[in-house]
Amino acid sequence: MRLRFVIGKVLGALSTLVFVVVVNFFLFRVVNDDPVESMFRGRNLSAEQKDRLRQQFNLDGSKLQQFWAYIRELLQGNLGISLQSRRPVTTEIGEALWPTIALVGTATTLSMVIGVAIGIRAGWRRRSAFDVGSTTFSMFTYSVPDFWLAMLALGLFSVQLGIFPTGGLQDAGTTATGLPLLLDQLHHMALPCLVLAIAYVGEYAIVMRSSMLDTVREDYLQLARAKGLRDVEVRRRHAVPNAVLPVVSLSALNFGFVLSGSIAVESIFSWPGLGQATLEAIRGPDFPMLQGLFLLFSAAVILANLAVDLLYGYLDPRVGGR
Amino acid sequence: MTAVSRADFLRRFRRDRLAMFGLAVLILFALMAILAPVLVDDDALSAVASLDNPTWASPSGDFLLGTDHLGRSVAAQFVYGSRVSLFVGLMATIFTIAIGSIVGVVAGFAGKWVDAALMRLTDWFLVIPFLPLAIVLAAVLGRGIWNIIFVISITSWPSTARLVRAQVLTVKERLYVDRARALGASQLHVVRRHVLPNVAPLILASATLAVPISILTETTLAFLGLGDPTQASWGKTLEEAFQAGAISRGAWWYYLPAGLGIVAVVLAFTLFGRALEEILDPRLRER
Amino acid sequence: MAQRGLATVVAGLVVAGIGGLSLAAVAGAGLASASASDEQVTLTVGLIQDLDTPNVTAGFLVSSYEVWNLQYAALTDKAAADFATVPGLAESWEVGDGGLSYTYTLREDLKWSDGEPLTADDVAFTINTSRDQEWINHFSSTANLDATVIDDRTVKITSAVPDPKLPLMDVYILPEHIWGPVAEGDITTYDALDGVGSGPFTLEEWKSGQSWTMVANPNYYKGVPAIDQVVFRVFTNGDAMVAALQKGEIDAAHSVPSSSFESLGDTEGIEAVFGQQGGFTELAMNGMAGGLGDGHPALQDIEVRHAIHRAIDKQALFDRVILGLGTPGVTLSVSPDPVWQPEIPVDEQYTYDPAAANAALDAAGYLDTDGNGIREMPDGSQDLTFRYAERSESDIAAPIRELITGFLEEVGIATTVDVFDDTQLTEVIASGEYDLFVWGWTPFTDPDSMLSYFTCAQLTTDIEAIGYNDANWCSPEYDELYAQQNSELDRATRVDLVHQMLRLFYDESTYVVLFEDADLQAYRTDRFTGWTRQPAEIGPVIFSNSSPTYFLLQPIEGGAGGDDGGMGAGVLIALIGGGVVILGVGASLLLRSKKNQDERD
Repeated sequence: MRLRFVIGKVLGALSTLVFVVVVNFFLFRVVNDDPVESMFRGRNLSAEQKDRLRQQFNLDGSKLQQFWAYIRELLQGNLGISLQSRRPVTTEIGEALWPTIALVGTATTLSMVIGVAIGIRAGWRRRSAFDVGSTTFSMFTYSVPDFWLAMLALGLFSVQLGIFPTGGLQDAGTTATGLPLLLDQLHHMALPCLVLAIAYVGEYAIVMRSSMLDTVREDYLQLARAKGLRDVEVRRRHAVPNAVLPVVSLSALNFGFVLSGSIAVESIFSWPGLGQATLEAIRGPDFPMLQGLFLLFSAAVILANLAVDLLYGYLDPRVGGR
Repeated sequence: MTAVSRADFLRRFRRDRLAMFGLAVLILFALMAILAPVLVDDDALSAVASLDNPTWASPSGDFLLGTDHLGRSVAAQFVYGSRVSLFVGLMATIFTIAIGSIVGVVAGFAGKWVDAALMRLTDWFLVIPFLPLAIVLAAVLGRGIWNIIFVISITSWPSTARLVRAQVLTVKERLYVDRARALGASQLHVVRRHVLPNVAPLILASATLAVPISILTETTLAFLGLGDPTQASWGKTLEEAFQAGAISRGAWWYYLPAGLGIVAVVLAFTLFGRALEEILDPRLRER
Repeated sequence: MAQRGLATVVAGLVVAGIGGLSLAAVAGAGLASASASDEQVTLTVGLIQDLDTPNVTAGFLVSSYEVWNLQYAALTDKAAADFATVPGLAESWEVGDGGLSYTYTLREDLKWSDGEPLTADDVAFTINTSRDQEWINHFSSTANLDATVIDDRTVKITSAVPDPKLPLMDVYILPEHIWGPVAEGDITTYDALDGVGSGPFTLEEWKSGQSWTMVANPNYYKGVPAIDQVVFRVFTNGDAMVAALQKGEIDAAHSVPSSSFESLGDTEGIEAVFGQQGGFTELAMNGMAGGLGDGHPALQDIEVRHAIHRAIDKQALFDRVILGLGTPGVTLSVSPDPVWQPEIPVDEQYTYDPAAANAALDAAGYLDTDGNGIREMPDGSQDLTFRYAERSESDIAAPIRELITGFLEEVGIATTVDVFDDTQLTEVIASGEYDLFVWGWTPFTDPDSMLSYFTCAQLTTDIEAIGYNDANWCSPEYDELYAQQNSELDRATRVDLVHQMLRLFYDESTYVVLFEDADLQAYRTDRFTGWTRQPAEIGPVIFSNSSPTYFLLQPIEGGAGGDDGGMGAGVLIALIGGGVVILGVGASLLLRSKKNQDERD
């Protein structure tokens, strides 16, 4: 892979990041001119008080000055202070990050593994009963709104059957530690995780199936079959490794989006992750928090994109110019 | 892909049973949405007009899908709800496709730095996290149907733009465009006569696949309480059912129809769109 | 084949990476929230409304009051049974100056939860500073008071005018060593997470939008509570809260949805409480008396307000929205004690009569001349289209809006709807940028506070200083009566004055009281005893006037220690965890074996 290609891609990603930072800043400043004013409306504040607060939140000076202040803080890893909790945005996001990664990461892994397995079988034997059945299932889950699925699951498993908790990260006020706590958290995570996994699985199955169909028609596969290799062998040794690439890139791209993708489900299950944090921040509205969340969501997508680009450049000489 | 003649297209399409099924479902829902005022008196949506109805009534001869916590007919909400979902889905898609096509055609045809600049812009918009932005804009712009349409359009155009640009480039390479240009045709003429007819089918297919995403987004926003509170929609029905406690009451008739309606419409559009895409794009054929 | 081999390696890495990350995240989340203590007695309370702020000089939501009720004791306490004034921080008091002053003697050895002594200085600091700085939750009680320290245990409180509420001194006493150093301008923005108080429990932690935790105060003057900590868990959905109560995830629930109240009452092991303390829900119209904003001009016409009052079927709202759990509303409820409520003859009430409302609007010149179904101003300048502000933090707000907008439509009035959370709505109301909204109040024992809200002094005339008067109406006549009752020591005369005020307020109709709603609560009977209603028999058990329940609760020996999911859940966890592990291992094995083969190729 040529160095120029890599540098080009990295620069592209950086420029996108810069764009995001700019949009991120001005979008929210256009939306609300003076957050301090709306934050402290109705509380007795002197003029000096307000000035001090504006300084504290970097809201003094012109928009451009504010922007440079924002960039300066950003470069030092400082995303500002949440208007709602008065704690650093990085702390707030840090706390919400892990629950989301745990939930969505597990759900994505599950749906990817299952989806790929389904796709392989379906694509290998087109128009078989399995293919028709699984494709119908995939299309169905692809069309189901995740929050509706979450409602049904909550109603059935938590409310009617009572096998899962109704929401939250763990039992409220639990004093458990170590393994019992971990098990408690897994118990809370199981249902939302299942819902998300079902909601995602269809897409992976469909992409994997398409990719298999493409591969199956390739000449070398016909050749391998002609050589008398067993069907299962051909599939495992030749077809799958080739067909799995698009799914890898899909999942890498998806992983960029998953951080922000479970908002409705997190809300239904009161899962204290980034989605809940976003909804909370919007109610304020808590602009530093929203900016921080946006930056994180966008950066995740940008990084995932870059990873996929570089990966493709490495694997496909036509792209990478190796 | 231009090689698909009309007769050929229709023959292929008719053979695709899933696509035909999708189309039939779509026609059914479209009819329901258009004929809503004929099918159901819109008084049935009013809580005041429903004061004499029983609340939480299960489906019966009087109320085909039962009643909700205010005694309103769930069937009436289902019928009227389809209007918002389909309308938002279609309008958002039209705008998405319009923006995407213009950007794609201009970038592909103008080339050079215009292309580079527009594609960079597209890249930028592609990475903006869709749902959070939609939520923020919906919260900021207020709760109305047009705001939702705006939000969906502004966030979904980049993929169409990329697709169209790629096609324009392919078309451009073909000889006859060069010939046309050599003959002194204006650029606009070339775009209108040679480029658009060639990319139109692809735009159509991509549009059909964009509708379900728009519908799902509308529903999610409505469910999160960011929809228009005064307008019946499937997302709003689900939100109200959830808030009113339909789940613990076991009032399945309140939350199943709207959800199934969404699934049916989204599935139908997806089946239909995939069939279009397969027929129009030779690389995808025979799947 | 090298490239394909690479592809599988990468695929394997992605799978392993995501899987590993997820497991690490679960572990990380586990470690992050691991707390040290064990075997604590925890009471868990579910509710719908989050805190606005734990700062008593800035907050105003019911949930915040519960925190202050637990964290801050007052000089006098209110009896659980009947709100009678009983000793609190003060063990005794003597009246002087012909009823104008009281001298309170504090209990011996009072301490704040952090161990600092609680003295007369703290009392004087709270009363005098709250008066000078006009703290919103103290000022209506302390406006006319002055406190003088006699010695460490003695404080003399003098009122500038005769005060019928004394010797009741139910203002929250704050620790001077915490609040004294906070500058005047900073006081309303102080985060108040210090957790220093003199009540039975103090605030330990607040996770916005999720929960807050209060721990037992070892220095509480009545003794150490039997419960170690109280966790308040905020639910986004009433249904989920009810399910959590049924499963034992929480021990008590506040604001149970009316739709599930009845079924909870029939559930074994759960006691449903229909708590009445005079709370009500009103439709308020923008009277524009504060002068801010852009309220619809039609609403300043009393004829229009009366017509709206007559257009609304309160009985229907009562039946449909709160399912008959409460009483249909007539006029303002200013106290849980019904003696303060005037008797208004039915023929003088603005009862539901849409025909009369239509006729009145026609007569007043509000006609629909352009035939769009909406009336216009008499000069034809604008439609009677009102902006209706709806609360997002209430599960009855949407059904109320559906009905009210429907009733208004019947009399040719259109509405547009905006939804706000409580903090936003407070701002919208203060800035006068609304026409209609629906919200509610829960009065204190003495009617004075509730009455004070509708005086001219409480109007918001400056957005920097929000007053309580959200009727945005006031009159000199009302203010005059208010001042009289505020210093009238003869109870019968005072009751009569209050009745006059309420009649006046009712006739002005900037407030249409829709119904008096009960506090619907429920608690589990298997873990704690001692649930105490305030007032006795009819009141709520939690979120009551002075919240006596928490200190009185005793854990039941052998009572289930909360829900841990039980056996079935454990098995399920094992199954799910096992499934994940097997899938992960299987996938990586599958990919690795392929990789090896490819390399052999």
